[in-house]
Amino acid sequence: MKMTEGNDRYKYNKMMEILRNSKPDLIQPEEIENEVIRKIRNEDQKTGMVSDFIESLFSWVYVGWVRRSLVGAAVVLVAVFIYQQGYILKQVRNINERVVNIGNEQVSVPPSDFARRLTLYKMSTKLAPAGEIRVSEKQLEELLNSYDELLVKYKDLIRIIEEDPALKQYIENKLNEEGNKKSDI
Amino acid sequence: MKITSYLQIVQKVLIEKELIEQCRNGDLHNFRKVVEKTSPMIFSVAFRMLGDEDSARDIVQETMITIWQKLAKIKSADTYKTWVYRIAVNKCYDQMRKQKRQKERRYDDQTWALISNHMSEEGITELENKDNAQIINFLTNKLSHKQKAVFILSELEEMPADEIAKITGMNRSAVKANLYYARKNIESLLRKYL
Repeated sequence: MKMTEGNDRYKYNKMMEILRNSKPDLIQPEEIENEVIRKIRNEDQKTGMVSDFIESLFSWVYVGWVRRSLVGAAVVLVAVFIYQQGYILKQVRNINERVVNIGNEQVSVPPSDFARRLTLYKMSTKLAPAGEIRVSEKQLEELLNSYDELLVKYKDLIRIIEEDPALKQYIENKLNEEGNKKSDI
Repeated sequence: MKITSYLQIVQKVLIEKELIEQCRNGDLHNFRKVVEKTSPMIFSVAFRMLGDEDSARDIVQETMITIWQKLAKIKSADTYKTWVYRIAVNKCYDQMRKQKRQKERRYDDQTWALISNHMSEEGITELENKDNAQIINFLTNKLSHKQKAVFILSELEEMPADEIAKITGMNRSAVKANLYYARKNIESLLRKYL
């Protein structure tokens, strides 16, 4: 048993000696050197363009950390500027879309609140939410004009009545009579 | 004996601290000298682990480029050699995983005849790269990647267990255990066929 173990150890040791003695030969190492240097130079050229740009901007600063801080600040400012421009552009696009919608959409309002919504529309030029009545913008414009005309005529009528006491008395009597009739019914 | 020869290897591949420090500051001219001195030791490990000359040359290139990219990050030039070996061994692991997926190696009686010839000779012969690769591949075929790495670094590159632990990221006892199983496996192979 010991003989076998010793023999195995001998074979193993001899094999290891042979393998250790046979150091792998690196053939033409200069090829690897050239290739490594070439690849590193290519990589450096790619990053070199950025560093050249930074160099041209901050070459007047000689302290390393100041230069790095300036580069950092510049990057942050550019990022903020780009974000701001993007945000403004988005808002402008939203407003633009809103104007287009007003031109095409139909407006819906419930009949009970019609006059108030018309006034509101006139004041704010905003669209009323969906409801029971659907009118186009053109129709709404006509309604608004009629409403204005009606308002003017009503004011004229009130003024005429106020100026003529007899007429005022006559209309008041008539209104009272009408009121009495309604209460009797 | 082992320690003496290891020291000789260390002396042979020793990179001056000054040279490393200069390269850390981006001196590409001096880095060529570093490549010149470092390439053989990377090639030796890569060739023995992968058993293929072209793959080993690729590993040397990739390792040297990684070294250049990360040279500034190493704490000091003292740890350079261990750090280089760690990068190379990790790259070899990746390559071995790819190779295993690509094809399972087949070995025949020709390899045994080759081993038998060299074993029967009186002195210690020197193998050519091709035969060297064939024999190492054959003997380590059944080993795991970790066992193979530990076996090559310990038995062929003659490194101490502590350094192997640093290179492979294992603890000292794991290194010894892996080496034990690797030896046992190879011994049983030699016993079976020789």
